[in-house]
Amino acid sequence: MRNFTSLLFAGGLGFFLLVLAADLPVGAAPMVAGEGILGQGPEAVGAANLVTAVVLAYRGIDTLGELSILFAAAAGVGLILSGMRRRADQRPDPEGGFILLAAADLLFPLLVIVGLYIVLHGHLTPGGGFQGGVILAAAFFLPLLGRPGDSLNHAVVNWVEGLAGGAFVLIGLWALAVKGDFLAPMLGKGALGSLFSAGTLPLLYIAVGLKVGAEIAGLMSTLQETEAAEP
Amino acid sequence: MNFVVLAVALPLLAGFLTPALGRSSRALAQWLGWGTLAVCIGVLWVAWARLDGGTVAIAIGGFRPPLGIVFYLDAVALLFGLAVPLMALLLWPREGTPQQFALTLVLTASATGLALSGDIFNLYVFYELTAAASFGLIAGRGTGAAQGAALRYLLLSAAGSVLLLAGITIVYLRTGTLNLAHLATLAPERLQDPVGLAAFALMLIGLGVKGELFPVNGWVPEVYGSVSGRLAGLLAGLVSKLAVLVVVRILVLIFPQPEAAQLMLVLGMLGIVAGELAAWRARDLRRQFAFSSIGQLGIVFVAFSVPGEAGIVAGLAVALHHLLVKPALFLLAERWGGSIEGLRGAGRGHWLASGLFILFALSLVGLPPLPGFWAKLLTVMGLMGLGTGLAWLGALTVMAATVVEAAYLFRTLSVLLAREAGYTSPGPHRGLDLVTASLAGLVLVGSVFALHPLGDGLKAMAAQAADVQGYIRTVLGDRAVARRGQREDRISEAHPASRGSDRPMGRADRAYGWPAGSPTRGARS
Amino acid sequence: MTLPPLEIVLYTGAVSLLIIGLAGLVMGDNLVRLVLALAVAEAGVNLLLVLSGFRQGAFAPILLEGRVPGPMVDPIPQALVLTAIVIGVGVQALALALVLRVRRAYGTVEMRTLRARLHEDLDAAAGLPPETSRNAPAVERPA
Repeated sequence: MRNFTSLLFAGGLGFFLLVLAADLPVGAAPMVAGEGILGQGPEAVGAANLVTAVVLAYRGIDTLGELSILFAAAAGVGLILSGMRRRADQRPDPEGGFILLAAADLLFPLLVIVGLYIVLHGHLTPGGGFQGGVILAAAFFLPLLGRPGDSLNHAVVNWVEGLAGGAFVLIGLWALAVKGDFLAPMLGKGALGSLFSAGTLPLLYIAVGLKVGAEIAGLMSTLQETEAAEP
Repeated sequence: MNFVVLAVALPLLAGFLTPALGRSSRALAQWLGWGTLAVCIGVLWVAWARLDGGTVAIAIGGFRPPLGIVFYLDAVALLFGLAVPLMALLLWPREGTPQQFALTLVLTASATGLALSGDIFNLYVFYELTAAASFGLIAGRGTGAAQGAALRYLLLSAAGSVLLLAGITIVYLRTGTLNLAHLATLAPERLQDPVGLAAFALMLIGLGVKGELFPVNGWVPEVYGSVSGRLAGLLAGLVSKLAVLVVVRILVLIFPQPEAAQLMLVLGMLGIVAGELAAWRARDLRRQFAFSSIGQLGIVFVAFSVPGEAGIVAGLAVALHHLLVKPALFLLAERWGGSIEGLRGAGRGHWLASGLFILFALSLVGLPPLPGFWAKLLTVMGLMGLGTGLAWLGALTVMAATVVEAAYLFRTLSVLLAREAGYTSPGPHRGLDLVTASLAGLVLVGSVFALHPLGDGLKAMAAQAADVQGYIRTVLGDRAVARRGQREDRISEAHPASRGSDRPMGRADRAYGWPAGSPTRGARS
Repeated sequence: MTLPPLEIVLYTGAVSLLIIGLAGLVMGDNLVRLVLALAVAEAGVNLLLVLSGFRQGAFAPILLEGRVPGPMVDPIPQALVLTAIVIGVGVQALALALVLRVRRAYGTVEMRTLRARLHEDLDAAAGLPPETSRNAPAVERPA
């Protein structure tokens, strides 16, 4: 009976959303605010990648909120799992085989370089702090998959996430002090499309990349250190 | 006025640094939190003094709205904004870990953002941030019950967020903008039809999870029954009200069609019935308060569903009253938690606590001249002023709810003050809890003597919040108001087609007729 | 036979994912599956969101050597969807951590059992006798 009503609900909602399709301009976006950003974005922000201009400049405070959500999730997971750490006398999972271990060692520098490249070129090409940060987190988590006995230094993770997040807010406050607008673009715009352009945007993306990398690596490492033994 | 952003930015900054700092010194982390909250209160207080009844839009990053995000400051936004750090300071998790301090700071920042933001997606982000921070706080170092409750709450809340985001997507597909003021100018032409109504319904359900709206409030008794009284007070008193505030902003600015308000009225009525009946049946004090909170929030939704100023006055009165009373009651229930029958005679000997309990209970029921009475009276009058059958039904529901509330609260009171002693005390109330509750009691009693100035203040606030034209003028400038006027004239013939897709690129300023200079720069003080 | 226009396919796909996810959420019982259903629903609504900026034949909103390559898609939904994805990741991580915790505390990964045990637990913590009408499953509680 319960399943039947649930199915009815889901079916009804599906029908309703599909009917909406007839009335929605899918594929011909209304582009009201979007057009404005496409028009003045390159000039006002100086980023060749206009999505980055939206993420860090026009909607910078959204990004700050988003970073805070990751932070809250990481802090929450740490708090929730704090009593479930593997004890010293419990055996960790067995070590990975040769392929995993070799690949982890081999990939670590490559992943770090790719991650940093993607973070640094966020204002020019697709990518940016979030995408690059996740790659950085993978670089630091991969060795843990191979050697489950090791663990990340959580004090370092806390400091990196704290300082990177703090840097993002401080860059915003700097703009507030100098220009009178929180998170307004600062520094020169530079030549459109060159690495040193778009003012503070690359700096913000470095902070985002470090923070995302630290949060995700910390999250995965906390989950990995948790002993999901039989209750 | 741009410094108001500090009230959101500083708690986040302090929150980010707290776990790292707390590793070396827990006391330092705690003082950092207290100091930050004090600064936030100062910032919002200065803003309140400077605003002096006016309205200001702050363009974050200096980008002209509707392109960038704006914070919109009016009396209602600042009042709720000011309540956030104040209550966070009063209900601070004193025995917690640095992570709990950090989460409380993040919760403060996001709740302040919910009160101030004027951008629909930014509101979604702050709403999610509030959720993420509260999950950690509920489950953190709690009992198994708290963790189970947190998981059930999380799944419901995440499902609600999916619906909320779907609603926002429909709005964006229709209008191409996210700024509330800009949406208000476009809404008469593009959102006043069944599709717009569907978007509102999705958003109402999504925001209703935190606002304890009827079909999505199953988490309320479980969570409030399993967490500390301080956290329950914070969630029931503050977070739920901010979710309601967001709903009201959306309703007033974007969905003025009567069907939207009726939907809210019906769901609110069902919430009152479900909440009060469950509270009447509840056998332990905390869950009785939790269910009564559902009922009270139902009254808030019903009150806000009355269109125009009358509804906002009533809604604000009920919401502010509940914001004051419920956290104090949860603090008192901290010692008196547990089965109601087991509390026989518990109130004897603790006269301050019993006195406060009686005061809050009477105000919750609505005994004149306590503020709870005036709040309910305003609601019933507003509903009767509408004159429709549904509104009469709503008024009757509120009155019936009063009877049920009186029945169960007086029953609890009579048990609490019973002569025979069957109660083994786990100790007196903690001093700090009593001080906080007494503070709320003093404000409540004080408001009885300042009824007229308070009423006038509320009316002015509500008039400002109901003034859609004023909102648009503050954010977008005068010409946008004129354009909305034209749109409303030709709404009958207009068809919400996909305008703008064939327009030449890069001419947005002229194409949309915004004044070349940024209107916010003019509005800035 | 003519294929339906691309947008209809995309839109239907996104809505279907959303519906599959929501149906899983309301009908599922296993907690891990509920988290997965949540992920599917979020994917659906994210697709819907990014579709809202789609225009037939337009370019990605990136300037090539400082020039506008042609009509570009709306950059705002792409930024929004980035935010929404990150939010989803955070919430899912919290959900998984809570599932681990709940399994330790109640020895179950089933929603209905969890609900029944949770209510028993709340009653017990409040010093109430268990209600008789609850359909408590006949499983021994772990010590």
